[in-house]
Amino acid sequence: MITASQKPINEIIELVEPYKKLLILGCGTCVKTCFAGGEDEVAVLASVLRLSFKKMARPIEIEELTIERQCENEFIQEASPGIARNDAILSLACGAGVQAMAKRFAKEVVLPGLNTTFIGIQESHGVFTEECSGCGDCSLATFGGICPVTRCAKKLLNGPCGGSQKGFCEIDPDTQCAWHLIIERLTTLKQQDNLKTYIPPKNWNTSLSGGPRKLIREDHII
Amino acid sequence: MKINNAPKLTLFHCLNSFEETNSMFDGCTIKTVKMACSSMTKDIHLLKAFESGADAVLVLVCQEKDCRYAEGSIRAKKRVDYVKTILDDIGMDGRRLNIFNTTAKDSGPIKDIIKTTISELETIGPNPALNHFN
Amino acid sequence: MKTYSRLHEKLTKGKFVVTGECGPPRGANKDVIDKKIRLLRGFVDAVNVTDNQTAIVRMSSIAASAHLVAAGLEPVMQMVVRDRNRIAIQSDIMGAYSLGIKNILCLSGDHQKFGSQPDAMNVFDIDSVNLIRTVKDMRDSGKDMSGFDLDVAPKMFIGAAANPFADPFEYRVIRLAKKIDAGADFIQTQCIYNMDRFKEWIRRANNEGLTDKVYILGGITPLKSAGMARYMNNKVAGMDVPESIIKRMDGVDKKSRADEGIKICLETIEELKETNGVHGVHIMAIEWEEVVGQIVEQAGLK
Repeated sequence: MITASQKPINEIIELVEPYKKLLILGCGTCVKTCFAGGEDEVAVLASVLRLSFKKMARPIEIEELTIERQCENEFIQEASPGIARNDAILSLACGAGVQAMAKRFAKEVVLPGLNTTFIGIQESHGVFTEECSGCGDCSLATFGGICPVTRCAKKLLNGPCGGSQKGFCEIDPDTQCAWHLIIERLTTLKQQDNLKTYIPPKNWNTSLSGGPRKLIREDHII
Repeated sequence: MKINNAPKLTLFHCLNSFEETNSMFDGCTIKTVKMACSSMTKDIHLLKAFESGADAVLVLVCQEKDCRYAEGSIRAKKRVDYVKTILDDIGMDGRRLNIFNTTAKDSGPIKDIIKTTISELETIGPNPALNHFN
Repeated sequence: MKTYSRLHEKLTKGKFVVTGECGPPRGANKDVIDKKIRLLRGFVDAVNVTDNQTAIVRMSSIAASAHLVAAGLEPVMQMVVRDRNRIAIQSDIMGAYSLGIKNILCLSGDHQKFGSQPDAMNVFDIDSVNLIRTVKDMRDSGKDMSGFDLDVAPKMFIGAAANPFADPFEYRVIRLAKKIDAGADFIQTQCIYNMDRFKEWIRRANNEGLTDKVYILGGITPLKSAGMARYMNNKVAGMDVPESIIKRMDGVDKKSRADEGIKICLETIEELKETNGVHGVHIMAIEWEEVVGQIVEQAGLK
């Protein structure tokens, strides 16, 4: 899932201040799961904005709507009437959703209400961790299903640095050392030989380093 | 700003922490909201109470270790804390929202809580989002 | 046998070598380098020049190393992969070699999070093992990473770091072997205070035949105070200062603590000299270079 968290409320207030009619648009997939942009969060944000604009004695009309996904045209369509009624859209989607909205409604103001953080999982209720950087060339098979490109602070491919202590990373005592986990897991899987394997420099061309990427499925294009 | 009229309080409570028959208190207008369990305390409800004009919002829940549904009181406390920070962030003063662990039998302590809330409102002031358009 | 540097030559001749350390200044003042050169000259076989150590911005290790070359001292230029991608790395290595720099120590680098500019983006395009391999490939095949034939290839004596005190311990020897396979000619270790753990690590390295393939220089850092011992143990990642050492520093009166720190160093060096598989020491007297001469003389290494 793509995780995100809401921008600080005062930053949002500053963003929406110039507008009198605002559509807060939630996204019901990833960011709903991480409690950032689903209908509950839309309702809370709307209420907070109403309170704070009342306090400032400034008028604002807020409409609330949550669609299934802001990153797909098929669902975006549902938002059209609401968008037509308002001056600006405060999108509680990830950065992809915000941009999809901006692309679809070229003449409308689309503002981001969230900070998009990472591709991750919900490790336990309310705790989300980053697991994948979308590098475009997955080598999880070599590393026992734990990604050092994402989860090692130094992206080390050939073993842990000298700062790993008692299973935790030197940069943060709450972050597990990815290499410690890789070693444990490869040991469990009896694949310790992988630890000795030399991993050559990574080809970053498939990652964002190669420029914004495009995925084309010819068989789906008509 | 002084409160001219009697302050308005909204009181959320779970079934075990408050008897609605106790709801006669002097010096304020109280609206009570009964919840089957304190875990139903949700941020949106607390905020809506302020939108509807409450000067203070109280949440009464069971003792943490006595909660019939195990974690209800703890969840409620977390959500109240969350909304308190939001109120602080937008200059509404988080002190006007509070949670207490009570039992329905204890009408004395509950009366005290309400009395304290009313007197604290003297310094905190009325709901700053009131008396404006919208 | 071809030797790549004077340090290399001394090691091939079986000398128990001493390397020192010079941290470049936080500014463009060459006088700081000159002062450290004066303190180290005549006492050490080569001098490591750190590369923005602890991610604090300093004069570049290449420039500071070049100052050492000009003064007749042999630098071990440290290079981290934190700040450069492979393009900059290869280019800097060629440039460094053209300035007369013959030794390199290949490192990952401390994470910038604790440095002076934590807002920086790090690079980590290649890791330290691949940095070692890059230097080796350039030296041995005369080609850069793309396979392009270099007109003059940099031919450096290649070093790597090892930390026998980091976790997981079992992996530390595998990691050493990986660095040797990648092309490390010599190893400088993290500061040794826990001699038992160091000896266990070197025993395993001996068993694997690794100490025949690489020169190992044990890391030495004189403690100035009990506070420093405690700080290093608690705050410096990958550092292991046993309670017995801290107690020992605590046990002497304040003004003798620096002397006690030097005494501990001398005892450590003595043990290392007797340890099979250790070929020298790397003395990192952090901002205390004036003590290096004394340690080297008293240890009988001059």
